[in-house]
Amino acid sequence: MNLILIPIALPLASAFLILLISEQTRYLKETLALAVSAVCLLGAFLIFTSALFGQPLELIARWAGYGMDFALKADRLSSFILLAVSLFTFLTAIYSFSFEKKGGAKWFYFNLLQSQAFAAGAALSDNLVALLFFWEGLLIFLTVFIALSKPDQAAKKTAMKAFLINAAAGLCLLAGVAITAYIAGSMSISGISADKLTLIGWAAFGYVLMLIGAVSKSGAFPFHTWLPDAALDSSAPFMAYAPAALDKLLGIYFLARISVSLFTLNGTMQLVLMTLGALTILVAAMMALAQTDYKRLLSYLAVSQAGYLILAVGTLNPAGLAGGLFHMLNSAVCLSCLFMTAGAVERRTGAGDLSKLGGLFGAMPVTALCFIISAAALSGIAPLNGFFSIGLIYEGVLSAGYTPFFITAALGSALTLASFLKLGHAVFFGNRPEGLRETKEAPFSGVFPMAILAAICVISGFGARLPLEFLIAPGLRDLGLAYEALGGLRLYPLFWVSVVVILTAVVNHMFGCAAAQGKACKACDHILYAPVLRDLYALAQARFFDPYEQFMKHLPRLAGILYKADRFFDYLTDDLPAFAVNAFSKASQRFHTGYYPLYLALTIAGFVIYIFFTAHYGGLK
Amino acid sequence: MDIVTVLKTAVAAPIIGVFLIPIANKISVKARNACAVALGLVTFAACASLLSPMMKGLTATYSVDFPLGFDFVLSADLLSVFMAAIFSFVSVIILVYSLDYISRYENQTEYYAMIALFLGSMMGLVFSANLLWLYIFWEITAIAGWRLAGFFRSDRDVAKANKMLLVAVFGGLCMLIGILMIYSDKGTLDLRFLKGEIIPPAAAALLLAGIFAKSATLPFSAWLSDAAAAPAGVGALLAVVLVNAGVYAYARIFGAVFATPAGFSCLTLVPAGLSALVAAGAALIEKDIKRILAYSAVSQTGFIFLGLASGNKTAFIGGLLYILMHSMAAGALFLCAGIIEQKTHTRDIARLGGLFKTMPVTAAAFALASLSVMGIPPFGGFFSKFLVFKGAMQNANPLVLTLFFCGALLTFLYLARLFYLVFLGEEKVQNPKEGSALMLAGVLAPALIGLALGALIYYPCVYADLLAARLGVNLE
Repeated sequence: MNLILIPIALPLASAFLILLISEQTRYLKETLALAVSAVCLLGAFLIFTSALFGQPLELIARWAGYGMDFALKADRLSSFILLAVSLFTFLTAIYSFSFEKKGGAKWFYFNLLQSQAFAAGAALSDNLVALLFFWEGLLIFLTVFIALSKPDQAAKKTAMKAFLINAAAGLCLLAGVAITAYIAGSMSISGISADKLTLIGWAAFGYVLMLIGAVSKSGAFPFHTWLPDAALDSSAPFMAYAPAALDKLLGIYFLARISVSLFTLNGTMQLVLMTLGALTILVAAMMALAQTDYKRLLSYLAVSQAGYLILAVGTLNPAGLAGGLFHMLNSAVCLSCLFMTAGAVERRTGAGDLSKLGGLFGAMPVTALCFIISAAALSGIAPLNGFFSIGLIYEGVLSAGYTPFFITAALGSALTLASFLKLGHAVFFGNRPEGLRETKEAPFSGVFPMAILAAICVISGFGARLPLEFLIAPGLRDLGLAYEALGGLRLYPLFWVSVVVILTAVVNHMFGCAAAQGKACKACDHILYAPVLRDLYALAQARFFDPYEQFMKHLPRLAGILYKADRFFDYLTDDLPAFAVNAFSKASQRFHTGYYPLYLALTIAGFVIYIFFTAHYGGLK
Repeated sequence: MDIVTVLKTAVAAPIIGVFLIPIANKISVKARNACAVALGLVTFAACASLLSPMMKGLTATYSVDFPLGFDFVLSADLLSVFMAAIFSFVSVIILVYSLDYISRYENQTEYYAMIALFLGSMMGLVFSANLLWLYIFWEITAIAGWRLAGFFRSDRDVAKANKMLLVAVFGGLCMLIGILMIYSDKGTLDLRFLKGEIIPPAAAALLLAGIFAKSATLPFSAWLSDAAAAPAGVGALLAVVLVNAGVYAYARIFGAVFATPAGFSCLTLVPAGLSALVAAGAALIEKDIKRILAYSAVSQTGFIFLGLASGNKTAFIGGLLYILMHSMAAGALFLCAGIIEQKTHTRDIARLGGLFKTMPVTAAAFALASLSVMGIPPFGGFFSKFLVFKGAMQNANPLVLTLFFCGALLTFLYLARLFYLVFLGEEKVQNPKEGSALMLAGVLAPALIGLALGALIYYPCVYADLLAARLGVNLE
């Protein structure tokens, strides 16, 4: 078997094997999932090294014809994504090992392994239809993941919301792929990359549709609204795996592919991309400030990070894209770690509400340290990995000449840090509530993956050159861009930007805490209740800005119009003919009076009409 | 057995069954049931065994001469065998499912005899190579469908069946006039001699009206949602087989025989697109599970027309695959609705909820079939939907594309709403039981086949490709 199939076929088959194992068995399903994900990770590593130091592995099989080949290609960028996907599957398998609150274990691991298989397929696909196949296929497992996370109705409702938003975005992607494939005359990603499309007419429409698919996958505004709901209604392992890691990796990977490899973007589209990114950063970071639930707050920050990534791709220059790809990995690492800390806290305390938590540093020191490291990294604090990746994004944005977007991104970083200060303070510092006196550290299986991820934050910060040279630079070359390592990064001014960001957030937090009389969970209330913002937050609270909720609110009216149209056609084909026949029948009854001269007159009239018709038209043929 | 005999068997077996079933009923109920299923199986086996010879390029023709060129000609080619295999397979599934499902009702012998008549006339319809005989079988399907739709004897049900018959008769009349115009123009109705001929525009429009009436496409779509109140097996038969009879007629007449006048594609696609959209919207409002599924069938039939009428090979293949995938999925959905109705005694989705816990197999089959209709991978419906859209893209009519895009969007919504309310919503029915093994087999088989077709998409694609290459006309 071709090695490239291992990360796809093995978990796909093993997932069905897991379904055969009884739910009663202890750790058998977990062990199998762990073993399979470990083999996938090893396979992904071998595929990656082959792409980096040897020949990229490929597989082409005839599939559905018409250019829809089952084509996989592990170049340096796709194998990097595969490696990251496999790493997160492996770490999630460890984290979930003894995590009870993940729904039925059988279905959890079934979904985990299927997600690994489909995500790996999406990353490796060298054919747009194959990519679409794996990409959209993930939707099923995402929905089942959420629906089975908790037994309550809210989880099922959120699962439906996630399904519908992603399905609609998937439909856009399908239409975009159909248009692009038609315009390009090929469905091969490599083939189209060799002769890039220009954004004119239908091609532009195709790109925009694919863009919707890509950014919605990464969880960007305005397709993000299922994420905060899922944070409340699903399990921490799911949040740490799918929205935090998988979706970011795949969404941004595909966005980079289409924006750099498949199409030559013009200035307008670049501006659209960067505006979307900046808007996502700001809106989500502002919303994060208002949250009082651990996972929900993190979910908004996950959305905000998607904004940085889109902004980075929008720069279209090597520095920005290097930063985007690096930050894609970093944000996935940090967010996954943060959701794991949320899961650990929720598991040990039974609470996610910030007002019910506090002072857990002493009880859960490793979790707290992991939180601090990953939060600092995500806020771009030196010398952690986020500092370099966000720095590169700033560099890219400034090089592209869009200073307002740089300011937005820096403001986003300050807001992100402000949220983390509120969250960290409320959960790990201050006084511990009476009910949490006996709280213990998470078990080894929970702590280990968190520690690994936190370590990655530190190592890839101090040794940023390593991931940049071995993961990012080769990936950039596959996108057709040259990369000049960190030489082009203006570390000194960016360090001062970082300092300003930190100072702003710290001052804000101290002021907020003082205003809230020491209550850390209310440390951002002075922003929430500021003039104008107060009204906006109230509208947001009422889901006024949630396109899904607004659409669903107005859907019955729209569907009602269509239903009336259907009834109208029913009237036309059923009621109206019946009415017409009855009316004709009643009208003709009037002539059937039994009066002989009338019958004679009608017969003569008919005969005259016939003669006239025949004489005029020459008779019936 | 030579392929001509197999062809004759495919048509004759169910028609003989119409007479055998009442006789078998005199022996015992089991004998009657066995006879019905056996005849269905023989028909399907005959049709399936023709698939391979057709792919090899063989054709089978059987003819009986009649005066005035009205010869009775049966001809098997890639298209007719493809459709016949689907129709007979779905019929077998329905027959097996009905063994238990229909056992609780009266008039069972009539039910099985009418299914046999329906199947036989469908076989006659798809294998007829003479338009007059195609029309005769066309009308017989309407009569059999009328008796099946009127299976329940209440005034309301009979009125709904009558409505269906009247629409069918109107459509049939349009078709007949169209056929006579072709006869008047070309002097023959033998499709073998008409390939590539240009059809008179008025005749094409009349045939299209007949096809739309049969395939429940706007403005003649309302009969299907009314007829869906019949037993689930009948609903499935009407929504999958009868509706596809119209689709087949389109594929045969306008896809494989006549060259169509300019603008004909648009004349088909705009009503089909409106049908896809309006029916999907109605499905979102409707509360009767069977009516929702009927609207779904109407909506999806619009997508099939999008494939068949877009005028290029990619779309045509997509349309053919769509027929296959939708037949499996819609069949499963209707049969699931039958289980739900029988076990909960209601079709009102507002009174249903939380059935996933008590009816997990039905729920799983329903979910799988819904995903296939939505076109989510790895189900076969994904490929057909993609090909149809890609082919339609070549046509590049923004209005048509917008109508179908919105229709596809609403498909997600109404099926997700239906599944959510019935299977995931708050529990409202006291301990409903899961369906019997036979009924579950009837719903699981087509649902899983929809999944398997996604994995094995290579084979139907090769077949459809051959079909389009050898028979297709009006294709770029």
